[in-house]
Amino acid sequence: MMGKALSSDFLKIRGKGLWFLVFLGPAGLVAMQALNFGLRYDYLTERYSGRLWETLLENILMFVPIALYLGITLVASLLANVEHHTNAWKQLLALPIARSAVFGAKFALCFLLLAVSCSVLAVGTIALGLSLRFGTDIPYGDILRLSFMPFLAALPALALFLWLCMTMKNQALPITLGVVLAIGSVFSYSLSEWVPVNWPLFGYHGTHPWAFAGAGAALGAVILLAGLLHFGRKDVN
Amino acid sequence: MNEWVIETRALSKRYKGRYAVSGLNLKIAKGDIYGFLGPNGAGKTTTIRMLLGLIKPSSGSVHIFGKELQKERLSILRRVGSLVEYPSYYGHLSAVDNLEAIRRILDVPVGKIAEVLDIVGLAKEARRPVKGFSLGMKQRLGIASALLGSPELLVLDEPTNGLDPSGILEIRELIKDMPRQHGITVLISSHLLSEVELTAGTVGIIRQGELVFQDTIESLHRQAQGQIRLVVSEPEQATVALMQHGFRAELKESAVWLNGGQGDDAVAGAVKRLVEREHSVYRVEERRKSLEELFLQIVGEGLRA
Ligand SMILES: Nc1ncnc2c1ncn2[C@@H]1O[C@H](COP(=O)(O)OP(=O)(O)OP(=O)(O)O)[C@@H](O)[C@H]1O
Ligand SMILES: [Mg+2]
Repeated sequence: MMGKALSSDFLKIRGKGLWFLVFLGPAGLVAMQALNFGLRYDYLTERYSGRLWETLLENILMFVPIALYLGITLVASLLANVEHHTNAWKQLLALPIARSAVFGAKFALCFLLLAVSCSVLAVGTIALGLSLRFGTDIPYGDILRLSFMPFLAALPALALFLWLCMTMKNQALPITLGVVLAIGSVFSYSLSEWVPVNWPLFGYHGTHPWAFAGAGAALGAVILLAGLLHFGRKDVN
Repeated sequence: MNEWVIETRALSKRYKGRYAVSGLNLKIAKGDIYGFLGPNGAGKTTTIRMLLGLIKPSSGSVHIFGKELQKERLSILRRVGSLVEYPSYYGHLSAVDNLEAIRRILDVPVGKIAEVLDIVGLAKEARRPVKGFSLGMKQRLGIASALLGSPELLVLDEPTNGLDPSGILEIRELIKDMPRQHGITVLISSHLLSEVELTAGTVGIIRQGELVFQDTIESLHRQAQGQIRLVVSEPEQATVALMQHGFRAELKESAVWLNGGQGDDAVAGAVKRLVEREHSVYRVEERRKSLEELFLQIVGEGLRA
């Protein structure tokens, strides 16, 4: 049943800018580093010679959390707005489909779109490293970890923002919250690693990245479940 | 064994302590066209939302096709087509894609899309983005969406909203044909009796959340007939006197009105009483209320059964 809803959702997001956003995010991250290394090429390659790939990944990582949070907020909001805009909920939810399937499909679609973003980031990183002549000793494992582990660790935010965006007609609150969270994630590094906002960072860095990715996925699942329950019961106007 | 397609039992919905719908007992028979009437804010849309499971009743229950909505929502909705309030649509998609988005969930053959577009007369505009449609065209698309799943029950909330006169006529003809051709039961809400008068077999009238009338349209016609208006001297005393003699008399616009099935003898008797009490009788006339007048009266004050 979720498959039907998902296939319907793929049709509905046509021309809504979601696919554009999915490519824009990682392209932006890669472009920033292209600029960084391009402008200071000689200085950086000399200073970090021998660990050029590592340095590139570290530099990208700094901006991954903020990009993730912004991306999550925008994707969730744009997706929810497809239904909010002309109040299509009342039509959609009067169809013979379980509300959990509707909500589940939206989550799956967000997840897929962002996973595509992550893949684009991985490919973009490799392309950038190669074109900066960092050598063919490409650290594939690290690049995959950089691209996907922070995303897994950010799943609580995805579940939360999708829930807020889907159930609130006025998107001002979730979007404001998302932007605050994104900017906050830059400064919250000094706080404890227990703060979930920091998990995307520790999902790559630190001593036990898998724990943070796993915790993110688990907390995300709990929030998703709460969202499903609430969405399943709420009145649709 | 009941044969009601829709049956609600003491259905109520409360918003912040105020009842939007209270104690509703709707009964809609198979193959009937049920006109659900009431002024703005009477609770029509709220009721329809409850019938579709979009909102939860505060109390009471809904049975559709003899099954309880709360327990078997999906299997019931499979057989229901609906249009709630103003039409919902995805503005950036064409009419065909709008229907395709719904079709993927209903899982009906692709050919249905062209069929329903043809029925509502949108076949020529099918490829344009819907945001450029007029209100009437969006309304037609809404009706097409409702028909897409070949429903056995159609629930239409003010379907002719925004349509031009010829559109209203078209939709009316379309709805009239539903029971005849496909055995479909139709619930259609409206502000205006005149709009469903020609199509509906049964009407339910809701006022401030309460059902104040529910019967066949013939019965409504009967109620609309035969009021006798008497213009007399001292109408107040005359009314009281007639009521004492067991007439259903009423004082209105400084005339005496006799309500309900007054035969010749009863009218003669009433005049006799008045003359005996030395009232001057200036005029005795029969007033036939139009249905619309009766409707407004019911909506205005309710009708004692
Ligand atoms: N979500 C809500 N919260 C609070 N009150 C509501 C809500 N929805 C409806 N109401 C109230 O319930 C009453 C009935 O509204 P409803 O929309 O059912 O009327 P209606 O008969 O469909 O009117 P109209 O002919 O204007 O469409 C109104 O007084 C309205 O203010
Ligand atoms: Mg309404």
